[in-house]
Amino acid sequence: MIAYVIRRLASIVVVMVLVGVCVFLLLHLAPGDPAAIIAGDNATPEQIAAIRAHLGLDEALPVQFLRWSASVLSGDLGVSIFSNTPVTTLIGQRLEPTLSLSLATLAFAVPVALVLGVLAAWRVGSGLDRAAMMVSVAGFSAPAFVVGYLMIYVFAVTLKWLPVQGYTPIGQDLGDWARHLVLPALTLGLAYVALIARITRATMLDVLAEDYIRTAKAKGVATAPMLVKHALKNAGVPIITVIGIGVALLIGGVVITETVFNIPGIGRLVVDAISKRDYPIIQGVILVFSAVYVVINLLVDLSYTLIDPRIRY
Amino acid sequence: MTTTRRRFVQGSAAAAALVAAPAIGRAQSAPSSARTVKAVMQGDLRSFDPIWTTANITSYHAGLIYDTLFGVDADNKPQPQMVESYGTSEDQLTWTFKLRDGLRFHDGAAVTAADCIASIRRWAVRDGAGQHMFQRVKDTSAKDERTFSISFSEPYPLTLDAFAKAGTPVLYMMRKKDAETDPMQQVAEHIGSGPFIFNAKETKQGASYVYDRNPNYLPRSEPASGMAGGKIAKLDRVVWDNVADDQTAIAALQNGEIDFYELPPIDLIDQLEADKNIHVEVLNKSGQMIWCRMNWLYPPFDNIKARQALLYLVNQLDVLKAAFGNPKYYRSCGSYFGCGTPMENDENTQWFKEAPNKAKAAQLFKEAGYDGRPVIILQPTNFAVFNTADQLLAQWLKEIGVNAQLAASDWGGVVTRRAVREPPEKGGWNIFVTSASGASFGNPITLVGHAANGDKGWFGWPKDVKHEQLRDKWARAQPQDRLAVAKEIQQNAWNFVPHVYMGLYLQPAAWRANIKGVIGMPELIPFWNMEKT
Repeated sequence: MIAYVIRRLASIVVVMVLVGVCVFLLLHLAPGDPAAIIAGDNATPEQIAAIRAHLGLDEALPVQFLRWSASVLSGDLGVSIFSNTPVTTLIGQRLEPTLSLSLATLAFAVPVALVLGVLAAWRVGSGLDRAAMMVSVAGFSAPAFVVGYLMIYVFAVTLKWLPVQGYTPIGQDLGDWARHLVLPALTLGLAYVALIARITRATMLDVLAEDYIRTAKAKGVATAPMLVKHALKNAGVPIITVIGIGVALLIGGVVITETVFNIPGIGRLVVDAISKRDYPIIQGVILVFSAVYVVINLLVDLSYTLIDPRIRY
Repeated sequence: MTTTRRRFVQGSAAAAALVAAPAIGRAQSAPSSARTVKAVMQGDLRSFDPIWTTANITSYHAGLIYDTLFGVDADNKPQPQMVESYGTSEDQLTWTFKLRDGLRFHDGAAVTAADCIASIRRWAVRDGAGQHMFQRVKDTSAKDERTFSISFSEPYPLTLDAFAKAGTPVLYMMRKKDAETDPMQQVAEHIGSGPFIFNAKETKQGASYVYDRNPNYLPRSEPASGMAGGKIAKLDRVVWDNVADDQTAIAALQNGEIDFYELPPIDLIDQLEADKNIHVEVLNKSGQMIWCRMNWLYPPFDNIKARQALLYLVNQLDVLKAAFGNPKYYRSCGSYFGCGTPMENDENTQWFKEAPNKAKAAQLFKEAGYDGRPVIILQPTNFAVFNTADQLLAQWLKEIGVNAQLAASDWGGVVTRRAVREPPEKGGWNIFVTSASGASFGNPITLVGHAANGDKGWFGWPKDVKHEQLRDKWARAQPQDRLAVAKEIQQNAWNFVPHVYMGLYLQPAAWRANIKGVIGMPELIPFWNMEKT
């Protein structure tokens, strides 16, 4: 097991190098000049050139890449071209909102999806099954920003139950923190519910057809323990896999949801950075996101051993 | 230990108190919401140095925390602000300025003549008006702590206009140690002497920017007028929230979560006007001018006839109708100096009265010897106004037989490509569309795009010797003579056509009905004088 973990961690390094090269090249080869954006509309070409030279953006790409790589290896993700603030500081400032949103989404989506999926499988073909799958299809089809606008219109503007936008740090006011996360978590969670519910239903249907489930029923095991302890646990591996893969969905959705609900998270940070070509921020955030995604998938793989004792590394 | 109900309740209360303590502490120190305005401005405040960048939002930020020697009033006339008295020598070659007594920076240090000289010098490196001025400056010197002078090699009547201009970069007074920063680098600290203090501690870059009232600010006694007069801060705190989504900002305004929204989308204005809790008003009455720059370096627009053709081709009202829809918020304009400005005039505007005249435009293109080569129009798809204008322009050009091609990108791509001086087919361009405050067109010196000095000029690189001579003549003219020279400039300009206007729009702002005292002016949203009732 330890050897497996070490091998996987080593592969993270390779992945990070590839991600770093790709993101650097894509950014610097794509159209756009941060120096021109910095200088503003009233600047002359000479002023823009001077800014570009001052920022080192006129140096050869390999030189810029080596300089950036060296600083990343020493733990320094660079400094924002626009604000002169270290990228690590900016990410640190934005981490709490994004983590809060992601965890709130998971806390809502996973239990709801599991319940929906299990009930749909248990009552396959019934009205409950069809309703659950309708919710699932709707959740996957509706774009997050459309769902977000609808949520805002109904629950914030019309009913005035919840705020439209913004974020309150958890240390500042717990209740306000929670209130500001309800609508974004529901918005982002809907697609996640859709994904997990469908997989749960499909996997549960396979498991419910197994002999040991029939045996359990024949032995008089009650429905709830049968569904949870006997069926769901055995269906766990694909479900956990999808939850892990869905983190990518979560990362992408966070970008849109943070924009719609004005949550100052990492998603907003990278969207703003892209529009102004703040290369160090874009590069830094993508590296961080990639590392998070790879680590989460490693944890998902390791969790299989908890669910299924037959799995050993 | 046995957990009793009493212990459980006590423990829960203690836990709740621990969690709430930071909130209670903060609530006691943060200004009340009754004296705080939350605003959504035109964009994110990406940089804080108003000399290093010409971005308007940075100038808004600077307008809160810095002060100016002079400011334009509601009639666009320069008025003393930090200056107590000023004058020129008999030969008009030396200007002397004395600062008001008691002016202090936010760190408590007195504002001195040395601070002002350093600030002026730094600004003059980056600003077109400053560069024009300093080509004629012989010396700047401090006479005492509050008095300084500027000596010129020739009389320079534009001095106060340059000092007072509201177009970026504005001449804000910084501490000498900040102003001595290389103009190509950003200042590290943001300490001004203005009516608000930048609260860096509570600011979250990219999310919200906090400004607190400066309790030690010394406002002038005159009523507030534009950037002049008494800048009395009636709010304890101003917070700029960076809300990227228009729909979210509108909903937040209607819900009372924000108080002021600078640029609500025009197509949603009706919704706001119908809300009795929201006030909608145009603050910048000189509007925003959409203009089209042609690349003079390459055909077809290196030919005067091709440029004149565009004057007859562009239908300003169609552009405005397509981009804005509501005629209450736009108008066409034929004056080189914009409309509603002191220099507006009617010289040589026959083309304006005739346009659109596609037959004449086609004829002019033919006379220009147009050979059918592609005409590349830079199209920023993420700016709706420019995107619309570009598409219409491309369509009209095609209708008169010009091979117009749209090069789509985001605005970042446009600002990169417009700096390219290569031929259009090798990554260059022929046309790009942008906009600027209508007021800025009223001064042929301060607007960088008004220069026609070829390679040294703004994108498009127009060149006309007579135009440059007339600009100099305008700069040397006394205020009462400037309009006559402006007419000469316009007469010449609409012959050689450095650029083409595509319409003037008036962007309304929206705020909660309990917000009073909002000052309307071009180029800036002042938060002094504003209050919540």
